[in-house]
Amino acid sequence: MKIHITGYGLISSIGFNAEESIKSLRIGQTGIERGRFEAMSNYRVGAITLSNEELKERFELNTDGSRTALLGMVAAKQAFHGHEISDQIRTGLISGTSVGGMDISEVEYKKYLDQTDHNPENYKHHSSGTSSMQIAKELGISDFVNTTSTACSSAANAIMMGARMINNGLLDRVIVGGTDAMSSFTISGFKSLMIFDDDWCRPFDESRKGLNLGEGAGFIVIESEKSRKLSKKESLAVLSGWSNASDAFHQTASSPDGQGAKLSMLEALDRAGLAPEDIDYINAHGTATPNNDLSESKAIQGVFNEIIPPFSSTKAFTGHTLAASGGIEAVFSILAIRNGYLYPNLNFRTPITETGLTPQLKFEEDKEIRHVLSNSFGFGGNNSTIIISAV
Amino acid sequence: MYYIHSIASISHQDSFQNPNIYQDLKELENESEVVSPNYKDYIPPASLRRLSPVLRMGLTASIECQNNVSGAFDAISVGTALGCLKDTEKFLNTFHTSTSDFLSPTAFIQSTHNTIGGQISLGLKNHAYNMTHTQNNLSFEVALLDALMCVNEGKDNVLVGAADERIDFLQTVQPSLIPSEFPLTSGASFFVLSPNPNDTGIGVRGVRTNFNTKNIGDEIDVFLRAHEITRNDLDIILHSDSIPFKTDTKKLNYLLYSGMHYSAPAFAMHIAHDYLKTELKSFALVVNNMCPGTLGLTLIEKQ
Amino acid sequence: MSDLKETLKEQIIEQLNLEDLTPSDIKNDAPLFGDGLGLDSIDALEFIVLLEQNYDIKISDPSEGKEIFQSVDSLAAYIEKNK
Repeated sequence: MKIHITGYGLISSIGFNAEESIKSLRIGQTGIERGRFEAMSNYRVGAITLSNEELKERFELNTDGSRTALLGMVAAKQAFHGHEISDQIRTGLISGTSVGGMDISEVEYKKYLDQTDHNPENYKHHSSGTSSMQIAKELGISDFVNTTSTACSSAANAIMMGARMINNGLLDRVIVGGTDAMSSFTISGFKSLMIFDDDWCRPFDESRKGLNLGEGAGFIVIESEKSRKLSKKESLAVLSGWSNASDAFHQTASSPDGQGAKLSMLEALDRAGLAPEDIDYINAHGTATPNNDLSESKAIQGVFNEIIPPFSSTKAFTGHTLAASGGIEAVFSILAIRNGYLYPNLNFRTPITETGLTPQLKFEEDKEIRHVLSNSFGFGGNNSTIIISAV
Repeated sequence: MYYIHSIASISHQDSFQNPNIYQDLKELENESEVVSPNYKDYIPPASLRRLSPVLRMGLTASIECQNNVSGAFDAISVGTALGCLKDTEKFLNTFHTSTSDFLSPTAFIQSTHNTIGGQISLGLKNHAYNMTHTQNNLSFEVALLDALMCVNEGKDNVLVGAADERIDFLQTVQPSLIPSEFPLTSGASFFVLSPNPNDTGIGVRGVRTNFNTKNIGDEIDVFLRAHEITRNDLDIILHSDSIPFKTDTKKLNYLLYSGMHYSAPAFAMHIAHDYLKTELKSFALVVNNMCPGTLGLTLIEKQ
Repeated sequence: MSDLKETLKEQIIEQLNLEDLTPSDIKNDAPLFGDGLGLDSIDALEFIVLLEQNYDIKISDPSEGKEIFQSVDSLAAYIEKNK
């Protein structure tokens, strides 16, 4: 069964929608800068320069929620634009998130510690499942709601689960993707891992030191052919392959040879009925940590051998948007297919000594891009790959 | 039919390695504790030392399941509503109160919801599909749905389960996060599903979730009809909140025995399994109506 | 120096939650990582926290830790040199 993609939406530090994002990608304009708010002021982050109130107003959001939920609503609404709720089309929403409502909970918990005006009511936004319900409510979706929470592979896994539910005849159309807002919890967490770069991150560069955090949301609409005939939406691209595999090496570090990553790429190719040489562009996970980029490079070499397609990480543009990354990068992948884009890997100077690989360095368009492979790897050795193809 | 090849639950009942938890069920007192196995028998000290209760429970129950079946799991699906609360709270304390440049990372690392699933794959050296679903009170049902899809897709050795833990702070925020008259508790229940028949003939016929529940009775009827049975065929209904229709069918409120946590329906499925096995009955329905407006239904059958 | 090493062992046991161990279980020259006590990269970060909290020594590059944290001996020597 062909899984058609009939909508996409995203918001991140490089743009409030797809059009703005492409502008930034084209001119090499990163969204990462020194944080404006206290908790972030020591770090370079890819923050969205709208407050929650501004998000609600600008995007006409009617449902209350944490920042994670609000960002998700923005992106999901964009994706679902032009679609209608129908009795004949069983529609679900699957969102990946790691932060959930922690942006609100952490503030409330501080009040609890300080014994000031602690209000337990405010924890109602906390759970990740609730953020998805709020996004679903904003879109008027009630047939099915789910939340996948597997750290940085969450959105890719949401996409995969949506596709499988369509294939299993359980849903006709699903809005899938992910969202994560900036929070002190995650900033402090990554600080404790000593995994930040004080400077702008350098994916796949020999001198890379770590990541820059980001926030954002990215969603796509997928539907069966039967559903598409009813929704009358144009098929923009096809979700042709997906996979999830476990590295089983360490709770946070990836295996040196990228075994889990290799497995997920090979399985996704297999499901898509493609050979490695059919891939025209890889949107890498590429967080710019010493560990990930080496591990992922090795895995890419293991799968593609000598003939490695153009590849890049777009995280030096958006920052690492954690659970949202797979969703945002799925949108980039769709746009690459439709417009023949190749995205540049910013801040690169020297290949990693062990691999000698050089990523795509400039923005290109009108290339023949028929198949894009996108990787998202999460803590717990959770490795996911999706493949998007031209119609 | 998705046959159940192994079950393991760690709960406030004496459930671990108990071949019939149904007959040993005791209503929980307010101050009950988890009845823990000796985790050292399952988890090496270098790993065990860091693990919070929910991680210990989830990992041990999974190892027990693995010990009872041959072959590595070819898919792992975990549900958890609130995830690793102990580590989440610990890290909240750390970064809010620390004046240091350096923060202890262990609690942060273990606070992500998929640490349970991650520790399972790590502990079992398992490279298969590994998913964590966090849809509040329906986390287990969605995890189960995923597991059934895995079997439909050709997998034949699927681990599925759910786990949630209680921390003292939950009591403070209870009405907002997890409203209930029942005592807050912890628990983990894991199952191995396969299309291959087992000795007991017991398995899951199907699962269904509903996010816009108007009438529980109607939803149940639709669900049962899809499996070609009616309410009259049910031997037992396991439920969380009261059932809003009259029925002569035997009823059991599983929250009396699991206490309140959002992974309780997984424990209910374990009770259902043991009930069918020992009472030689045919159909059990687990009804998850913990949160008004949403509904989870799981049909278990003994052939 | 031997007092420092004894104290260090107690601190290591506490920081890393090595609940079943006592200081006498940790030999001064035994490798702490890999096969030794089975410590890993997360523990290496915990060591950095331990050094800062207890000895006011800051290590900003985690990769420096590999040599310093090899054993109680090397750790004690580093502390003596840098306090």
